[in-house]
Amino acid sequence: MTTLVFEGFYEPFSASAEPIDRTDALPVQDVDVPAVRLHEVGKTWRARPGQPSFSALTDVDLEVRKGSIVGVIGPSGAGKSTLVRLVNGLEKATSGRIELFGEDVTELSETGWRDVRRRIGMIFQHFNLLSSRTVFDNVALPLEIAGVDRAAIRSRVEGLLELVGLSDKAERYPAELSGGQKQRVGIARALSTEPAILLCDEATSALDPETTRSILALLKRINRELGVTILVITHEIPVIKDLCDEVAVIENGRIVESGSVFDVFTAPKHPTTARFVEDVTSVDIPSYVRDRVTAEAGPESSLLLRIRFVGEHATSPVVSRLTTTLGADVNIVAGKIEAIADRPFGTLLVAVPGSPPTGDAAIAALLTLGFRFEILGYVPAERIETECKPFGFPLVPENVHVA
Amino acid sequence: MSPELVRLILDATLETLTMVLVAASVGIGAGLPLGVFLATSRRGELFAAPTLNAVLGFVVNVTRSTPFIILVVAIVPLTRLIAGTSIGTRAAVVPLTIAAAPFIARIVEAAIREVDQGLVEAARAMGATPFQIVRKVLVPEALPGIVLGLTLAVVSLLGFSAMVGAVGGGGLGDLGIRYGYQRFMPEVMALVVAVLVVLVQAAQTLGDRLARRVNKRLRNA
Repeated sequence: MTTLVFEGFYEPFSASAEPIDRTDALPVQDVDVPAVRLHEVGKTWRARPGQPSFSALTDVDLEVRKGSIVGVIGPSGAGKSTLVRLVNGLEKATSGRIELFGEDVTELSETGWRDVRRRIGMIFQHFNLLSSRTVFDNVALPLEIAGVDRAAIRSRVEGLLELVGLSDKAERYPAELSGGQKQRVGIARALSTEPAILLCDEATSALDPETTRSILALLKRINRELGVTILVITHEIPVIKDLCDEVAVIENGRIVESGSVFDVFTAPKHPTTARFVEDVTSVDIPSYVRDRVTAEAGPESSLLLRIRFVGEHATSPVVSRLTTTLGADVNIVAGKIEAIADRPFGTLLVAVPGSPPTGDAAIAALLTLGFRFEILGYVPAERIETECKPFGFPLVPENVHVA
Repeated sequence: MSPELVRLILDATLETLTMVLVAASVGIGAGLPLGVFLATSRRGELFAAPTLNAVLGFVVNVTRSTPFIILVVAIVPLTRLIAGTSIGTRAAVVPLTIAAAPFIARIVEAAIREVDQGLVEAARAMGATPFQIVRKVLVPEALPGIVLGLTLAVVSLLGFSAMVGAVGGGGLGDLGIRYGYQRFMPEVMALVVAVLVVLVQAAQTLGDRLARRVNKRLRNA
């Protein structure tokens, strides 16, 4: 029987350490078996007298491929925390089946779960570091619990602190660290027993955007370099966008949509998904244009289009192509390009003047070029072009600021 | 000050210290595990045993609500059984300990309940057993509170020890009553109070220092 997949993943810093005994590790029967698999899982809180029972999760199906980063996003109270705690047995499912590396753990005893938990790391929103222990001793705690001897603990903890960039803080106490540093300690601690799976429970929700980015980058590195499978739960869409490969959207205890981050972001199907995704991808019609948009084309109006750049189109020069194809000007009204799961996804609002004939030609051209776009309406052309004039904003050096 | 008086005071101080230290040590020995159990045995907790928790909680409350002087007299048979006598310093230690243990248990319980539940969850997520959680998380994290609480317990014991004169327990309180009050020697009374003030002050200072030393939470403050 083979032991858990993650042997060898930690060579960079475990080479000098005694390898942890994993003869009792989770068996892996099949290379393609998912790291985590929830099958029609439900969790109902038992009713207290005078209160109805409450379903935290209903029919949840979720698969986390080995080596992938999967995010579960949803509003607070959607059941995210319960979901992630099912994976390491901190909560028990009331129906359905839970598999880790193909092994059914649904009916595991508390003792059995303890062994499994030593192979699943977890980090928390509020870090949950022991205030009475130094950084070093916090990272050492899971190893002490697993009964690893002192010499092995020392070399492993030192390696981990190096990995998270906190070697110089080993003898400090958590109270002396910033939030980002505390989460780095949390990550080092979670990785100390060489887990195959890392669970992140709102791990960046208490951090500022800058620190969030550095923590996400660290998690990504851990996934790429150590091959740790990561399951993230969050209510922050940037976490999904910047970190995850796949996403599941959860609402009222049910998964309403799931798929690759790129697909879900570029073509959300469920309204909740659309609401989350909108923050990142949507480009609104600027207010000074929106008020004048009409459904019917006037004699001198511009056609207002929202063009989506997905995948290969994201980098193609649509404006210049339209200009050369049509021989007409194209006004850029608004736009942005985002990297989603490391792939570009852009939205551009353009106004094509001289419609209807030029507008129709533009639509034909876009169809030929294979762009996704929607027609938003028509705007009196000169109004857009002259919009800036009333402000009397001359382009002189003192008005130009280089950011 | 006559040498006899100095002797009396010294002997009484020694008796008081013996009673308090023995009662505190045995009280901690019994109160610490009892407190840990009380803090972790309600429904859904680490060592869930709601019935035993309720029973022990009740026993603790009964002991704590009995006025100490009544407790001293009420348990005389038990005292005789344990100490072999019902008078003297040896005997006085028994009611002192029985009063101290539940007090310390409640202090430990309160300190442990203050520990962030997130830490317990983190330890469970690491695969810790309930005993490991107590030893490596709950007690160390509650230690600053426990130390301060124990200081309070020791100071209270100094006060209680004055009452065991009722069973011939000796000590400073007994000296103060017999000489200072019954023999109209106010200077003995004043001296006894002065020594007690010094002892309380010393205990409190030591406790505060120790608590600050084990508290790593406010390093920057």
